[in-house]
Amino acid sequence: MDSGKLHISVPVSRNRVISKLPKWYTPESCLQFKEDFHGKVKGACQNRHTRSGGLNISKVVVVGDLYVGKTCLINRFCKDVFDRDYKATIGVDFEIERFEIAGVPHTLQIWDTAGQEKFKCIASAYYRGAQVIVTVFDLADIKTLEHTRQWLQDALKENENTSPNIFLVGTKRDLLSPAECERTENDAIRIASEMQAEYWSVSAKTGQNVQEFFFRMAALAFEESMLRELENSSLSTARIGEANVIRIDENAEAPQSKRTAEPGLGCC
Amino acid sequence: MAERALRIPERIEEITEPEELERLYQQLCEEERTVEAELESFVNQKGSIAAKMIALQRMGPNLQLIEGDASQLSGMIKFTCNLAENVSSKVRQLDLAKNRIYQAIQRADDILDLKFCMDGVQTALRNEDYEQAAAHVHRYLSLDQSVIELSRQGGEDSMLDTNLSLLQEAEQHLKVIVAEKLDQAIKEGDLPQVERFFKIFPLLGLHEEGLGRFSQYLCTQLASKAAQNLQLAMGVELSEARAALVFADTLTLLFEGIARVVETHQPIVETYYGPGRLYTLIKHLQVECDRQAEKVVDKFIERRTYHRKFQVVQNNMMRNSSERIEPRELDPILTEVTLMNARAELYLRFLRRRITSDFEVADSAAPEGITQEHQKSLEKLLNDCLLSRNMQELIGYYITMEEYFMKETVNKAVAMDTYEKGQLTSSMVDDCFYIVKKCIGRALSSSSIDCLCAMINHATSVLESDFREVLFNKLRQGFPATTLQDIQRGVSSAVSLMQSSLQQGKFDTKGIESSEEAKTSFLVTLNNVEVCSENIMTLKRTLENDCAKLFSQGSGKGDQARAKIDSCLSDLVAVSSKFKDLLQEGLTELNTTAIKPQVKPWITSLLSISHNIEEEEFNEYEANDPWVQQFIVSLEQLTTEFKAGLSSVIYDNLTSLITSLIATELEKTVFKSIFSRLGGLQFDKELRSLIAYLTTITTWTIRDKFARLTQMATILNLERVTEILDYWGPNSGPLTWRLTPAEVRQVLALRIDFRSEDIKRLRL
Repeated sequence: MDSGKLHISVPVSRNRVISKLPKWYTPESCLQFKEDFHGKVKGACQNRHTRSGGLNISKVVVVGDLYVGKTCLINRFCKDVFDRDYKATIGVDFEIERFEIAGVPHTLQIWDTAGQEKFKCIASAYYRGAQVIVTVFDLADIKTLEHTRQWLQDALKENENTSPNIFLVGTKRDLLSPAECERTENDAIRIASEMQAEYWSVSAKTGQNVQEFFFRMAALAFEESMLRELENSSLSTARIGEANVIRIDENAEAPQSKRTAEPGLGCC
Repeated sequence: MAERALRIPERIEEITEPEELERLYQQLCEEERTVEAELESFVNQKGSIAAKMIALQRMGPNLQLIEGDASQLSGMIKFTCNLAENVSSKVRQLDLAKNRIYQAIQRADDILDLKFCMDGVQTALRNEDYEQAAAHVHRYLSLDQSVIELSRQGGEDSMLDTNLSLLQEAEQHLKVIVAEKLDQAIKEGDLPQVERFFKIFPLLGLHEEGLGRFSQYLCTQLASKAAQNLQLAMGVELSEARAALVFADTLTLLFEGIARVVETHQPIVETYYGPGRLYTLIKHLQVECDRQAEKVVDKFIERRTYHRKFQVVQNNMMRNSSERIEPRELDPILTEVTLMNARAELYLRFLRRRITSDFEVADSAAPEGITQEHQKSLEKLLNDCLLSRNMQELIGYYITMEEYFMKETVNKAVAMDTYEKGQLTSSMVDDCFYIVKKCIGRALSSSSIDCLCAMINHATSVLESDFREVLFNKLRQGFPATTLQDIQRGVSSAVSLMQSSLQQGKFDTKGIESSEEAKTSFLVTLNNVEVCSENIMTLKRTLENDCAKLFSQGSGKGDQARAKIDSCLSDLVAVSSKFKDLLQEGLTELNTTAIKPQVKPWITSLLSISHNIEEEEFNEYEANDPWVQQFIVSLEQLTTEFKAGLSSVIYDNLTSLITSLIATELEKTVFKSIFSRLGGLQFDKELRSLIAYLTTITTWTIRDKFARLTQMATILNLERVTEILDYWGPNSGPLTWRLTPAEVRQVLALRIDFRSEDIKRLRL
């Protein structure tokens, strides 16, 4: 029922439309404090309606120990299902999620890697060219949090020239009492700030924060890819009438954000 | 009408004009005429209406007659209906009675059957005719349980009870006997007996058990065959033709054996056990397959020192090991692993196809839930079997080793790079792409999509970082300039050469003996870069075709696999454009360091040729060309060198850069000169010859690049300042001015015979 398997030409499904920059999970560990997209990006988005812009893709790599729930997290978001049975991922799985962000189509390629040691060789071949690295750990298993450093290091090794957005995600939140959760989260936030990552606690079983997390990730990846593209185009060609574009944008921005206030995006 | 009658008198007072009166009168007359015509037509119709009325009156009595008939008919119908009702109720009773009779007969038959079975089983068992006995038991089992219950209530309790218990006893007895017999037959390996008893099981309702025992028999057969094959494989001499692939071959034999077993026994299973049972059979067989495959894989790992090699490779990749392994040594083992995986994939595909079609037959009428359940258990069987896990593990190691193989071999190709005179590119490009293609091709031959994608990614990395780096460093050494620049450049290039050889260590040990060699090296590298970006596109297209073939064979999981490959291929294509960028950088470098320093003095030498000339000098110039011929000759010399050494695409690119350079430099120079009327004419001639020459060496038009200069020449050629207005603004016609008004004034000012007041006065 989702757009997971759909082809490129199919319109974006309604529950994948993001109009405002979603908020962070916790201000102690967050990549961007802005309330809305970068002004230049918004301008370009307005402009993009008329142009048939190129295909916009961000590559997301999900890493972490085995049995922390990487596949469950992705399946909850992409297919809205939760399968209690553990099935080890073989090599890599792959999902395509299509979004419409600030009126511009954007595609996330989510590469779900295997956590088992024996698949590390095959999985690590997929780390390159990632715009987003999601390191996942199990909130109920503190050891897996320790291992995220190594996972991130491995993933970053294949992306030396670019600086991907990094997220640290704790899963299985439903298994913990609020007090336990707070304790683990404090540790996680510390590690996240070392990694320069944004921290999120989620539960694939209840669905808590899953959509919020993916939306946030998609929006930040989108913003980054737009900024990169703008930089490239401003390097190669002189922009004529750019000032004009921005002026139009400022007028049009207010009604747009009002029209599409996303319900239920508040933090919990 | 009344209305009108009322209205008209009112109006009459208002009507003062005779014309108006006349018109109204006319109107009234008109109306009168139409009314009259209407009336006329009504009167005409009167006759026909009267006739119709008479006809109607005549029909009156007939209608009464019809009414009587109709009520009579209805009475008859009611009667008939009642009669039919009566008859049919009797028929229904009859039918019910008939059904009951049938049931009674059926029951009697059943009871008779039961008795017959009781007797039959005993005799059959005594005669060891197990088929017969099983048929009796089957008959008994298929009887309605309620019949037996009813028979029991029938009265002759004791006899039937004893008989029934006898029958049940016989059934149990038979089950035990058949199981024993089957086990015995299995032990003896007596296929006809095995099949005989195997067929009896479903009659006794023991489908699962029958399949279990039968597959146990098949498994022992497979096991002994597999053990033999493995034994044979271990004995293969190294010199034999397929020695390098012996484990893949053994695995193939195992799979083929199982496939043959499935082929031969599927009909029996289907006939005696019904459709939908193949899954159970294969599930049992797969256990043995896993066991045997693992043995082969274990032997393979042991004999080929697979893990050891992996360890060494991994240490080498980490660059913390002194022990090195020759990539060439890995070649055969990598091929064997991919072949093994390909065979396993083929085998699993075979199983999937067989089981799916078997389920399809069985589930054609089954609800959605059961079909899904079956599909799920099939996936579980195929994905979670030990065989696929083992294969995945092998492939995991394979990828690292293949990556190592590719990296090392590419490095070697770079190190052994040679260039033959007359060739545009050097050997390393072809070699490198041969290697990349081979490695990806090998990954493809494993039929594993994940493996293929992983290798495409590694190839992308190798091309983008390792190989591009090599070419980049070569280009960074620059193109040695000749003449004056030599000394200057010599120092800096030596420095950069030292730096780069320090950084890379191995690629530039050859050094560059002469500037001639350095030049060739630079040009060859440019060609290499171009060919690389071409080759990547070719590689992508080839891979797309190959993948399409792979998918058409039905491997992989369809859409998802396709999306994975598309994504990896698009990353690969991105590298092609990086090479294109590199080519552009190299060309710019060539243009600024080698061409600009030479061309610029040639152009500035124009300054030393006075264009403030009179008739006499103009004629002199006519006879002895002062500048342009020499310039063209020098350019010719400069470009020939590049034309020979560069591919036509790059050469075109370069000449385009050169022409742009000439245009800008010449423009600058012109702004520094002064011109007389004839000097302007002279420049116009010079420019025309130059453009004519440049057109011959470029493939596309250069008119556009020289548009500004041509326009400047036009201005310098004017008779009077005001003549410009014939070409400017509304008079410009098809000409589009590339010069701004300020520039036009500037150019006009270059003419010494034009007064600055006139120029200032111009309205542009």
